[in-house]
Amino acid sequence: MKRTLGWNLALAAGLGFFVALVGLPFWWVVSGSFKLPREIIARVPTMFPQSFTWQHYDKLLSSSDYGTYLVNSLFVSGLSAVLTLLLAIPAGYAFFRLEFRGRETWYRVILLAYAFPSIVVLIPLFTMFAKAGLVDTRLALIIVNVAFALPFAIWMLRSFFGSIPREIEEAARLDGGPPLTVLRRIMIPLTAPGIAAVAIFAFVTSWTEYVFASVMILSDAKRTIPVGFSGIIGQYQVDWGLLLAGASLAILPVVIVFALIGRWFVTGLTEGAVK
Amino acid sequence: MKTPMRMLLAGSMLAIPAQAFAAPVDVTLWHMEQPPHRVERIQMLIDEFNAANPDITVSQEPQNWGEIYAKAPAALATGTGPDMLFAIPDFAPILKEMGALTSVADFVSELDADHDFVDSTVEAYSYDDGVWAVPLYNMTLNLWYRKSVFEEAGISVPTSWDEWRAAAETLTADGRFGMGLPANKQLYTDQTVYSVMVNGGASELYNADGTLRFDNPETVAAYDFYNSMMEFSPPDATSWTWGEAEACFASASCGMVMQFTVISTYENQAEGDAADLGVAAIPTRDGSDDNATIAYANAVMLLSQEDAEREASKAFIRFLLEPENYGRFLNMEPGLFMPVTADGAEAESFWNDPVVQEYRDQIETVIANGQNGRLFGFTSGRVFPAIAAISAQNVLAETLQSVVVSDMEPAEAVTAGQARMEDLSR
Repeated sequence: MKRTLGWNLALAAGLGFFVALVGLPFWWVVSGSFKLPREIIARVPTMFPQSFTWQHYDKLLSSSDYGTYLVNSLFVSGLSAVLTLLLAIPAGYAFFRLEFRGRETWYRVILLAYAFPSIVVLIPLFTMFAKAGLVDTRLALIIVNVAFALPFAIWMLRSFFGSIPREIEEAARLDGGPPLTVLRRIMIPLTAPGIAAVAIFAFVTSWTEYVFASVMILSDAKRTIPVGFSGIIGQYQVDWGLLLAGASLAILPVVIVFALIGRWFVTGLTEGAVK
Repeated sequence: MKTPMRMLLAGSMLAIPAQAFAAPVDVTLWHMEQPPHRVERIQMLIDEFNAANPDITVSQEPQNWGEIYAKAPAALATGTGPDMLFAIPDFAPILKEMGALTSVADFVSELDADHDFVDSTVEAYSYDDGVWAVPLYNMTLNLWYRKSVFEEAGISVPTSWDEWRAAAETLTADGRFGMGLPANKQLYTDQTVYSVMVNGGASELYNADGTLRFDNPETVAAYDFYNSMMEFSPPDATSWTWGEAEACFASASCGMVMQFTVISTYENQAEGDAADLGVAAIPTRDGSDDNATIAYANAVMLLSQEDAEREASKAFIRFLLEPENYGRFLNMEPGLFMPVTADGAEAESFWNDPVVQEYRDQIETVIANGQNGRLFGFTSGRVFPAIAAISAQNVLAETLQSVVVSDMEPAEAVTAGQARMEDLSR
């Protein structure tokens, strides 16, 4: 069925609107980070920079601990994503393949943990972690991030495993492959796009986590980007250039992760959605 | 055999005192001055102190005001808290109620004898037969404007509410807003609202017996006036915090703002002329010269229960308040933090800073305005623990939002505000 010109125009307009809605704030932040302070705070804002400077990045990286926060965030988010995958893949496969009592009930119950507001458990968790000597450690953040990302990751991965034709798995098992071998050799490669999607989800969730990172970490040297950066920009006086440079740099690792495995991510979402 | 035994004994005798007394006492300071240049300045002073006091090692861990209300009690309850923690008056009662504070009245008296504290800064922490923190620096809200803009518009510095409103109306032209006023449910709005209240005869939140007296005609008049000024404020002011107001002034989009200071942004981001920057006391309702303003006496609380750590903390505070160090401490953010001691206000270390020298006239005015500083819930010795909850919930700002955003009548909103305060006090 051929679309009319009107339809095409409406689609293009709709698409343009949403691209602008998402893209313009990013453009504003990134382009602003290269403007001179006077231009940033100008009464009439400029869409395209009339000045150019590296001074905000220079100040950010030379006179603050932004680099340390960045490394901490990469460490915590990277490890959280890896651990989430290591636990979610076998768990998702078990929920998909193994027959055990209460499987469907447990499958639904674990999602409740995902829906639980983190602020409710903040203080009890702080007390528990303090007793275990985990307060002010990056390990505490990794544990929390994995705990909160895991339910949704398991739920997603079970859907991805379910999208693999049953015949492929059965053929492997007829050849004598035990479940773990089938998982490793057959299921994981076939669900790689889904695993990439889960990895990105776990990474981004950890990268942006603020509540636990702000309370569990006491020392500046162990802070992650969201918490450390909120301190750098100040309260009573805001250095807008510093804010824009820090925000631009903070999204860079996420953009890189998406650029590297983004194609898989989109494929994974599609495969998970259409069984 | 005898000689080696004697040597062993002698060695062990020497070793005991070395282990018991030679190890430095470690004390940790938590503060909420996180911007890198402030952390750097505090570290510079810490390094000097540590070098001069080899038996004490002070270290700092900057924290965030946004989380400290939850984080500090949790950390103290689990033994992971600091030895010293910066405070504002409505934060101290929370830790006091937890039993984490011991009165520092004697220590404050000693420091007062040496440096002469501004009385109101000590009063903010004096209640329940104790003094719960040592004042360190003051912050007061002032009215900032550009002299050239006033001259061009043919107006003089307003002294009464009527003049203030007329000035805002005149300045609202050509895409400029006459007065940048926030109406967000946030601390900044608490501060601006109270600064209007205190100049309209509504400084007391409590009666002497601890009952609330927020709902009175003076408070209603203050809210009514504030609401009338919103007409000359940018439409997004209902979501403003300090930064937005300051940017509005720096970009000349706002003719006037109420701020602790605009000096840093005006100097570094707007590249303004120091001679053109004006600062004045916040106008009073009737135009009298009995101006007052909100004042935040920031202080430091001593949290350690161990004698050695407590004494080490005191030594560090003594060091900070010495005039040769105190000015450098205050000037971690030139123009924002004002002295709370008489010798600090005259200290060369304070006035020698290049930015302070450039804006000396403005800073002298700010210090003078601060002499009549008040803080809601901490006036006339009427301090009650429930003020911490009222402050934490931003009830003053919430009441303003009812008027500005929900179009409630000021009298009705103030009555609802008092009911909310009573609920929070239970």
